[in-house]
Amino acid sequence: MIAKNEPAGTPALSIIVPFYNEEDSIGPLHAALVAALEPLGLSFEMIFVDDGSRDATLERAIEVARADPRVRVVRFRQNRGQTPAMAAGIEHAHGDVLITMDGDLQNDPRDIPLLLERIEAGYDLVVGWRFNRQDKLVTRKIPSRIANWIIGKVTGVPIRDNGCSLKAYRGALIKQIPLYSEMHRFIPAMAFVAGPRIAEVQVRHHARQFGKSKYGLSRIYKVLLDLLVIKTVTSFMSRPLVWFAILCVPAFICGFSAFAFTAFSVLTGSQAPSLVILGTGVLFSAAALIALSSGMIAELVYKLGDVREHEFARLTARASRNHQVLTPTGGHP
Amino acid sequence: MSNRSVEVSVIIPVGRRHVPMAALHAEYRAGLDRTKRSYEFIYVLDGPQMDAAEALRDLQRRGEDMTVIALAREFGEATALMAAFSHARGEVVLTLPAYHQIEGSEIHRLVQSLAHCDLAVGRRWPRAGGRFELLRRRAFHGFVSAVTGVRFSDLGCGARAMRRRVLEEITLYGDQHRFLAVLAARQGFRVLEVDVRQSARDRFEGEYRLREYAHRMLDLLTVIFLVRFTKKPLRFFGMIGVLTWGCGALVILYLVAQRLFLSEPLADRPALLLASLLAVLGLQLFAIGLLGELIIFTHARHIKDYQVEEVIQFARTSSARPPGEAASHAARELVEDSPQLSPRA
Repeated sequence: MIAKNEPAGTPALSIIVPFYNEEDSIGPLHAALVAALEPLGLSFEMIFVDDGSRDATLERAIEVARADPRVRVVRFRQNRGQTPAMAAGIEHAHGDVLITMDGDLQNDPRDIPLLLERIEAGYDLVVGWRFNRQDKLVTRKIPSRIANWIIGKVTGVPIRDNGCSLKAYRGALIKQIPLYSEMHRFIPAMAFVAGPRIAEVQVRHHARQFGKSKYGLSRIYKVLLDLLVIKTVTSFMSRPLVWFAILCVPAFICGFSAFAFTAFSVLTGSQAPSLVILGTGVLFSAAALIALSSGMIAELVYKLGDVREHEFARLTARASRNHQVLTPTGGHP
Repeated sequence: MSNRSVEVSVIIPVGRRHVPMAALHAEYRAGLDRTKRSYEFIYVLDGPQMDAAEALRDLQRRGEDMTVIALAREFGEATALMAAFSHARGEVVLTLPAYHQIEGSEIHRLVQSLAHCDLAVGRRWPRAGGRFELLRRRAFHGFVSAVTGVRFSDLGCGARAMRRRVLEEITLYGDQHRFLAVLAARQGFRVLEVDVRQSARDRFEGEYRLREYAHRMLDLLTVIFLVRFTKKPLRFFGMIGVLTWGCGALVILYLVAQRLFLSEPLADRPALLLASLLAVLGLQLFAIGLLGELIIFTHARHIKDYQVEEVIQFARTSSARPPGEAASHAARELVEDSPQLSPRA
């Protein structure tokens, strides 16, 4: 499936690395990548995304690119964060298989062959798992453990390490997954709508050599909100109207019982009909109606948008005709 | 003549407020001659400005080289700018007001400032005007900087010089031209305020009416939403929605508890109406936030979170050459960037 030594045209592999203020890492990383990839005998390209660094990262990247025509440098006008940097890298990559990794030398390029092996075995998405993580326990490892547990529970994709950037994707699939805001942590969850076969691979993790970490505890709040969004957005996907209808059920019950109560008191004459109860009923019924109409709008939004379920289904499907394997994505035989 | 390439495209939107064209054109032309660059004039008539159209036709008849675009109705200055931009050929776009704001002789300073930035906006300085005027301006710009995080002190100045790609990336409409500097700064363009001498004839004859203020505020609201919450509608609507819903739910719980344990009938508690109103409102706000997220999710591929300044890759040369030598033959592929105008800082 991975084309060997393709002279021109699309390379077999694209390595995408976002850099933000990593002037010391870029040279060693490039050397390590080349050392790890050249023995594989595959054609590959490297996409270095400079996320508006303020140090000499860009100059170093250009130096590297000058010496190695396989390197493409994508320069951002200003710092935008890791997800946009990855999204840009994915957009500018042409490989059949895309690999993303961190630019801080904490991921090890020698693990790439392990990921590729899994892709060749037929997986669509291979996620690195930093089983021996070299980070601070209290501020990094424990929150990450909790976050991964919650993400797994909520999205139904039980991955032990969502935060590991070292991942491999089938190019055709990842290019269809919407990536924005801070969603790179949720790529497996986002990709899940396409029903990919996901594998986990233990990867090495090194302590930070240069520069300093760009994360703190503050991101947890945002992660939780993003999680809620992903959950709703991906589960709404196939039938938004139904989901909004479920949302409106409690409101409908409240409204209906208020009406029933009023009707009951009028019919039996046991109590004077109460304006407060009736008004409450009207309000809740209105809420139910509005939730339903929102559902209709949501249907319209999905219909006009460019996230298509059948497109995902086609990308991850395996087709065969009379024992002959047809794979639309250039996937595995 | 029209095939000749030009360096600077001068766009002058002519709205209701304008001065006689002939004198203005002469002043601007004299100013542009000082830049020592080739230029073209593009006038946009925003709506039927009879006298200005007539004056421009006169100028054209006298051999002045200019493009005149007449919009069929009044669209607003920002839309007029965009319409004119589609005809602009220069690498540098200069917008000038159709009335006296700055001295024509100051134009070259705006254009020259582009050596250090992508957008140079004029700041009339020293500035005439009474104390009330000053206060009003301070309040407006203070408010803008508070909500958008970028500080400017003369957004009302219509004289701005910019590189072409600023307008290629930013779409303006209605009356948003005032906020071009703000939007450009948020997009990561380098924006500079350049002090220019105010024209002695710069006086606003009319008065600022209430409607004018209301319009400015509404424009500002749009801008706030555009720069702050476009990507994350649920962060905005969801929070308000959950808070509202929570208040309502709490009050309902309290009333129900009273009904159950203290036997206070719900039927004559108007607070129940208020509480359910809050709960319902919260639900609706949340639903709106969700719809917003759905729209972002389904259109994420067209809404780009990032601006790529350039893509750099050195061409593959014949494999016999060592890498060091190959580099000297390499052609650098530049995207969206004009090498001659953007010396790397």
